[in-house]
Amino acid sequence: MSLLTLDHISVAYDNQLILKDFNLSIEQGQLVSLLGPSGCGKTTTLRLIAGFLVAKDGKFMFGGKDYTRVPVNKRNFGFVFQSYALFPHLSVFENVAFGLRLRKMKEDEVKRRVLRILEVVSLAGFEKRFPRELSGGQRQRVAIARALVIEPDLLLFDEPLSNLDANLRVSMRVEIRRIQQELGITTVYVSHDQEECFSISDRVAIMNQGNIEQLDAPSTIFRYPATEYVARFIGFQNFLHFSERQDTDGEIELTLGSQKFKAIKHQGTSHPDARKGAFRPDDLALTEQENRLTDNVLPGIIKVSTYLGRSYQYAVETEYGEFTVNQEMDTPYLSGQRINLIFPKEKMVLVE
Amino acid sequence: MKKTYLYWLLLPGLLFLAVFMIIPIVLTIGSTLFKEGSFTFAGYLQFFKDPYFLKILLTTLEVSVASTLLSVLLGFPVAYYISQKAPRRKGVLLALAIFPLLTSPVVRSFSWMVILGRKGLINNALIWLGIVDKPLEILYTPVAMMIGMLHLFLPMMIISLVGVLENIDSDLITAAQSLGASRVKAFRKVVFPLAMPGLIIGGILVFVGSLTAYTTPALLGGKQRVISTFLYQNAMTLNDWFSASVIATIMIAITFVVVGLMNKLSNKLNPKG
Amino acid sequence: MRNKHIGLGLFSLLVYIFLLGPLLIISATSFEPGTVLKFPPSGFSLQWYQNIFKVELFPQTFKTSIVISLLGNLLALLLGVPAAYALSRFSFRGKDTLNAIFLSPVLIPGIVLGFTMLKYLIVVYHLPIYTGLLIGHTVIMLPFIIRVIGSSLSSFDFAIEEAALSLGAGPLRTFFKVVLPNIRSGIIAAVLIAFLESFNNVDISLFMTGPGISTLPIQMLTYVENYFDPTIAAISMLLMILTAVLMFVIERLMGLSYFTKR
Repeated sequence: MSLLTLDHISVAYDNQLILKDFNLSIEQGQLVSLLGPSGCGKTTTLRLIAGFLVAKDGKFMFGGKDYTRVPVNKRNFGFVFQSYALFPHLSVFENVAFGLRLRKMKEDEVKRRVLRILEVVSLAGFEKRFPRELSGGQRQRVAIARALVIEPDLLLFDEPLSNLDANLRVSMRVEIRRIQQELGITTVYVSHDQEECFSISDRVAIMNQGNIEQLDAPSTIFRYPATEYVARFIGFQNFLHFSERQDTDGEIELTLGSQKFKAIKHQGTSHPDARKGAFRPDDLALTEQENRLTDNVLPGIIKVSTYLGRSYQYAVETEYGEFTVNQEMDTPYLSGQRINLIFPKEKMVLVE
Repeated sequence: MKKTYLYWLLLPGLLFLAVFMIIPIVLTIGSTLFKEGSFTFAGYLQFFKDPYFLKILLTTLEVSVASTLLSVLLGFPVAYYISQKAPRRKGVLLALAIFPLLTSPVVRSFSWMVILGRKGLINNALIWLGIVDKPLEILYTPVAMMIGMLHLFLPMMIISLVGVLENIDSDLITAAQSLGASRVKAFRKVVFPLAMPGLIIGGILVFVGSLTAYTTPALLGGKQRVISTFLYQNAMTLNDWFSASVIATIMIAITFVVVGLMNKLSNKLNPKG
Repeated sequence: MRNKHIGLGLFSLLVYIFLLGPLLIISATSFEPGTVLKFPPSGFSLQWYQNIFKVELFPQTFKTSIVISLLGNLLALLLGVPAAYALSRFSFRGKDTLNAIFLSPVLIPGIVLGFTMLKYLIVVYHLPIYTGLLIGHTVIMLPFIIRVIGSSLSSFDFAIEEAALSLGAGPLRTFFKVVLPNIRSGIIAAVLIAFLESFNNVDISLFMTGPGISTLPIQMLTYVENYFDPTIAAISMLLMILTAVLMFVIERLMGLSYFTKR
């Protein structure tokens, strides 16, 4: 059973629905990322889970209990903010101890726990400093320690690394993953940085306009996107909009106008409603040879050719639209040249 | 949840203002439109036909316009001077301008009685210098009120102008000059329009302030009445509360018209729209 | 360039003399040993300072002024802090209108406020004069409290409030433990500015005097109508010292930028 379930949740802000009939479930101990552009609803989802927002409709279950109307301060979730949100008037020690003191803990126990968690985030010896005396990375560690020390049932991150510089971002995300796995704490992580999400998550939810387009392990999403939106998000640029799909034994037969195409059956083509063939620019091939009879080929004209260093990139115009192809070669094709565009069946992913 | 919470935070203050300020004002305005139970503008017609009241209104407007214009003439150069200074000096100059603003108006008006009176500083100096042989009557004239008002409200003009002038990038003036504008022209075409919002706010504060001030005309005006002292006289000396209410309504109306017009002007002039 | 600045500097100096000269003159005359206000004073004496305490009404009205300003301040804080918080924390429809209403007591002519309050608070609502005085002063302090605290809340990162909530603090505890300590200097500055505004107020107090009830500025006005001795100069001197001290504290707490931005 899932630890956390959002069940047909709707959230409105200023009479505008941000989330509509939204569903999500998360397993115990996993780190799940919500990934998408700004305005996709990922932060709203996180703030709803945290309790900063209340759902208009739907149910939020956590650990088998109804949390829909439980106020923020009764949820025992740790939240790490984009702006760190450290208390400027309190020292590092007091910042971290804040949640423990609210739990009426004995002073020596508070001290023991604070010092231990500061060690976990590699900040031992910084107790007496104030937030303004710390670097961005150190502040973020304090923020994480402050959220962890209350032993939260769930840890929530809202774009925690976006205020840090590039190098620090990479080392901090390794750190976050290490701590999360060490403590085995269920975590929801929001970011718009694809690499960041893919590198630290057990599962990633790609969000678009208040919906989850796909929720899978990062490698699955990367190889087998489920929808055109997800495919574009992770670098597929070429799409064939098939009119018919016929599943046979080992293969799938597809029709595009008068052209026939074939795809191989695998995880990325199995959904019966998926009728868009998706390809990365690297996966297409160009040839000057006339092989009209073979499947998975479209004739076209080179429109633009750009030198990328390792390869050339071509924009090829066909009867069915323009396609982008990367190809390694010594002497490039010229603009206006007639060409055949090959869509290898073993590379084809079918998306909705 | 959030919404109800919000109302509870705003409600006490709103109720307080409604009961103790808004209702009294609205009812006061309402009371001027009814005499012996029927709706009438008679109260106002009577006032605007009365030469004594018209003279008071005129004096008030004259004093207010004069102190507003003078505050611009004196305040603009000073504000420009302050805004050009380094932060430390700017802070000191600003503090010296703000200090009188926070000082009791009674103290400030009283100080002008000492200066402008028959045996005051100015008359003593003029007599000692042999310029006049009899003391001049300055105190208890509109001029004295105007000086008092200017002293009272000039700091407001200065600080609202400093507020806009210090935000004008000095590169803008250099840029205008590099494009061939003379210094005067650069000032007129660049600094002045950008300072307009501050000028208008300062203008509202000085004008409305002068129009409604009580202490200064009471101390420096003598028998010369302005609209605020006239209101007080009607309410407290003559016990004519109907007339006092009419005057109160006229004062509110003038204030709102002036503020409204100035805001319109500022919206029109503001390049940012 | 230099020439122009010298001209401008000289002009500014003259304007400053106009602004501060009268205050210096009145300070000097407070040390006059004679019975008539004179500048320059004919000698040095502190007798008029002693006279302040001999005229019983001065210490008495001073006490009233202080009590009214402090109580009114407390009341204005109780009403104004939640409102200022709501107005800066949340965005909602009608916010601009509410803002305008809360700031309106500065816009309405003071003398009109005073008169309408007399007419309704005292006569219609039958409130005691002292209560009316207190309410009137609270009304005029409210906009200053809301504006100054509002401006210090405008730079407040409300995420730290959410942080406290997520760590288990309830809304009230969050406000007192996290929000309040971080806007403390804004609140003190607001209190001081409102205090000066109330302490110096004439327009409201003018209408709210009664047997044994009057404020210091009103007592000063009355005194000036009857006597022209240096007592008022001596009080002025003391009030200016008070003003200077409070202004210094305000400057330390939040700078003077509050005055220049509107």
